[in-house]
Amino acid sequence: MQDSPPPGEDQAGEVGFAQALLAAAQAIEPATVLRDKSDRITLQVPAAAIAKICQWLRDDPALRFDLLYDHTAIDWPAENRFELVYLLAAVLDPQPRTRDLQVMVTTSVPRDNPVIDTVCGIWPIAEWQEREVYDMFGILYTNHPDLRRLFLEDDWEGFPLRKDYEDDFMLERPT
Amino acid sequence: MGMITDGLPGFLEPLPGGSAVLTKVDQLVNWSRSNSLWPLTFGTSCCAIEMMMASGAARHDISRFGAEVVRASPRQADLIIIAGTIVKRMAPRLRTLYEQMAEPRYVIATGSCTIAGGPFIYHSYTTIRGADEIIPVDVYVPGCPPRPEALFYGLLTLQKMIREGESLRHPGERRRPVLSALPEGMTIEDIQAEMRDLLVADANVKMSEELAEGAHWAQELKDF
Amino acid sequence: MTAPVPSPMASASPNPAGVRITSLEERISGTGTGSSPLATQEYFVNMGPQHPSTHGVLRLVLRLDGETVREVVPVLGYIHRGIEKIGENGTYRQFVHLVDRMDYLSALANNWAVTMVIEKAANMETNERIQAIRTIVTELQRLHSHQLWWGVFGMDLGAFTPFFYGFRDHEILTDIFEKTIGARLTMNYIQPGGVMYDIHPDFVKDVKEFLAYFKPKLREYDALVTENVIIQQRLRGVGVLSAERAVAMGCTGPMLRASGVAHDLRKSEPYGLYGRVEFDVPVGTTGDCWDRYWVRMEEMRQSVRIVEQLIDNIPEGKHFLVKPAAKIKVPAGIHYSHLETARGILGVLLVSNGKDQPYRIHCRTPNFNNLWSITEMATGGRVADLVAILSSIDIVVPDIDR
Repeated sequence: MQDSPPPGEDQAGEVGFAQALLAAAQAIEPATVLRDKSDRITLQVPAAAIAKICQWLRDDPALRFDLLYDHTAIDWPAENRFELVYLLAAVLDPQPRTRDLQVMVTTSVPRDNPVIDTVCGIWPIAEWQEREVYDMFGILYTNHPDLRRLFLEDDWEGFPLRKDYEDDFMLERPT
Repeated sequence: MGMITDGLPGFLEPLPGGSAVLTKVDQLVNWSRSNSLWPLTFGTSCCAIEMMMASGAARHDISRFGAEVVRASPRQADLIIIAGTIVKRMAPRLRTLYEQMAEPRYVIATGSCTIAGGPFIYHSYTTIRGADEIIPVDVYVPGCPPRPEALFYGLLTLQKMIREGESLRHPGERRRPVLSALPEGMTIEDIQAEMRDLLVADANVKMSEELAEGAHWAQELKDF
Repeated sequence: MTAPVPSPMASASPNPAGVRITSLEERISGTGTGSSPLATQEYFVNMGPQHPSTHGVLRLVLRLDGETVREVVPVLGYIHRGIEKIGENGTYRQFVHLVDRMDYLSALANNWAVTMVIEKAANMETNERIQAIRTIVTELQRLHSHQLWWGVFGMDLGAFTPFFYGFRDHEILTDIFEKTIGARLTMNYIQPGGVMYDIHPDFVKDVKEFLAYFKPKLREYDALVTENVIIQQRLRGVGVLSAERAVAMGCTGPMLRASGVAHDLRKSEPYGLYGRVEFDVPVGTTGDCWDRYWVRMEEMRQSVRIVEQLIDNIPEGKHFLVKPAAKIKVPAGIHYSHLETARGILGVLLVSNGKDQPYRIHCRTPNFNNLWSITEMATGGRVADLVAILSSIDIVVPDIDR
């Protein structure tokens, strides 16, 4: 633990990086903002720009986020939207870095028309992760090569991780 | 076998001494069934690891209890040890596996998931709350997951049930399913000791008693 | 057919935009082309969900041309229990024990991952003793898991003996865990605010004895399997995954390191006491089954090294810093944290709305992401190679399905 930099210095570096990243992202998509209430650098982008932003994050020689750690969704019925989360990391870069690079990208799609572009072409693993999100939330990915249910049977009705999902089979915990 | 088991009771029962022979045949059939269980390798989650430790691994050895021939194909097995949660998607497959097994078939359900759904009982849209909703279960072994000793105890319970269970007179009638919880303080040594006693009781035959019994039958048959 | 009547529920239709959704049936029927030069017939074979080499209830639909695998379509969900939904309806503490049943071979690492995100988000304190105990038991469990993998790996390749050798040592470690934790498999030991019980008085002695016993045994493992020519022939050049492809396919853990990427969270984002111990990150060169085998064998040696450095100086202190029944409240927002289990990176994404229950909790499981690469690795190989590849991924199916 003695070799890690003091917390203040690290924090300053992080903020500086976040501002630089935001400025670069805004050059591509002006509506980009930093999401508050997140424990790491999180870019909030409009749904229409997701493929563009992701392509840039992977291909920019200074960033090279080549590993899609995770992709999932959060249901916010009160605001009538699904928030989609992409968590990226840079692992292949041969140059040593001061800190492990990770960034989160979020976007929102309306609940009544949850359609978004796939990122399969950028990170192949997204094919499975997006299928899981479709299975659990019913997010529809355009241009996905093989969009179908992942864990549940093809004829399953409803999307279980939506907050308003109802099922006769489910048991409530007795209080 | 089917012809014998179906026809034998009707043929023997009217004969004098026939019912004694029938009882002996029952005993023989049940004894051999109970000591030659062929389990199917079937594990869905955590309990499967404990089952592996019990059945094939270095410390515990299921073959001491007469159930060593673990088969990968249900057609060659007559015991299914359900190890792990059963979910909606797996349920029809479990049913198929059960139906493909050789008769008479027995089922041991290990772990709380297969007994009642375990920790996944509430708010789960897929977990089946107990394997007995899909197939009839003979012995339930509680635990999360049950230790190998507990599984052995369940197996011994099943063997006991088979010995006292089905008879030619009442085919298809079995002992009621039981929950086979390992009694407090029971160790592997106790089970091994009990097993040794059983082996002694099963394997050693007093020749004089057997001869006397044989003579008795012979006399009854002669009288007829 | 009459024109479709607009349903009153049309606005609630799950697919208003008409995005194309396929089904398994369509996926399978559309692909059999039979373009082999010998004009052989291609056919589909189901491997699983009940199959001894799929380590549980994984189902692979294989498109075969004789013995050659043309395509692998993994079908998941035979043990999907909806852990994330259950988690949304329970408290934070209740979620910790559910993850034991996900990757049951690294239950402690799973506990720790959830604990870590809760502790970080709720700003809970720990002390050095807690971190030392956590690091030691988790590292021992990496060893525990790799021992079991080694035994089963041998069996999948047709050698039964490694199974006994692996389990022999696995059982000793199980006993050590049982003495302290009281469970053999599903531990539920690492909790937000500490560890469930303090270590058993014999723990240090037992672990030292075990390490002294186990180090020469690793040499035995090598003599039995690693140096076996048949094993090497079965593994070398099989299921090759380049570094670029491994990253693109989302692989982590020993899979990624075998492909030559030295990415290990224990080094890059040290948690627990990993920042204080010396260890190497073994890295492969070609990314074939042999490299994955070798990386795990080497990781066992490194785990022994890590535990040896820590076992003698576990600091004094309390083992639990909060009241066990205390309700945990996490400030609203997105929290994520991850660590390195025996199989790769386990990340937990926690979305809180300030209440004492998670609003949404999601696990990024290593097996789910590692398995996807099988579609690439196994294509073009033989069915027997597929079994070796599957075993070299070291999958635990409930961790995939959750």
